[in-house]
Amino acid sequence: MDRAKSALIRNNIYPDTPPINSNMSSISQSDLAALSDSSKKEIASFLDSENSKQRVQMQVHEFTNSCFKRCVSSVTSPDLSSQEEECLSNCVNRFLDANIRIVKSLQNVQ
Amino acid sequence: MGLGSFFGKKETPEGAAPAVPTSQDPATLQVKQQIQQELAIANATELVSKVSENCFEKCLQAPFSQGNDPCIDQCLAKYMRSWNVISRTYVARIQNASDTGEI
Repeated sequence: MDRAKSALIRNNIYPDTPPINSNMSSISQSDLAALSDSSKKEIASFLDSENSKQRVQMQVHEFTNSCFKRCVSSVTSPDLSSQEEECLSNCVNRFLDANIRIVKSLQNVQ
Repeated sequence: MGLGSFFGKKETPEGAAPAVPTSQDPATLQVKQQIQQELAIANATELVSKVSENCFEKCLQAPFSQGNDPCIDQCLAKYMRSWNVISRTYVARIQNASDTGEI
């Protein structure tokens, strides 16, 4: 079994164990220390962009979790009905509308 | 299906200029790859945990004396399709807000 798969199973079934990759075992400390300033900058901006992509991904996980519960009532086929699909899409849009409205109201209170 | 192909896929279209200049330095490439692999694992872990929670609820009933594999399989497919619908809607909304200068 490859590393990614075993880490996945481990993380899900034994969530208390530290993630397999957390010790950066595959990159030596001396390699890291030898990185040039331009490489460090490159990695920093790479991290920034991966981070913002990841925030969107995590939001999608959250929305899917909460909208699936509300929009998909029974499982009788692997496909989404058109009503379910519309409900999911509306669910995200209405959540964001509410979110924006709340932020605006709170800004006015200040 | 490889995890990397599912969550770690490149989103830059072919021929588009990369936002960050890419170096050929092997250590830098390795750090980047490791970051992407860890993110892919985190995403897959999150997906497995959410699908398990939702499909367990939709497909199985107390006292849980029997399983329901066909339902679980259909539910997984349905969840992935939902994930895609929501991702498309959310990304379109972000795109829209950024086009109109809202964010």
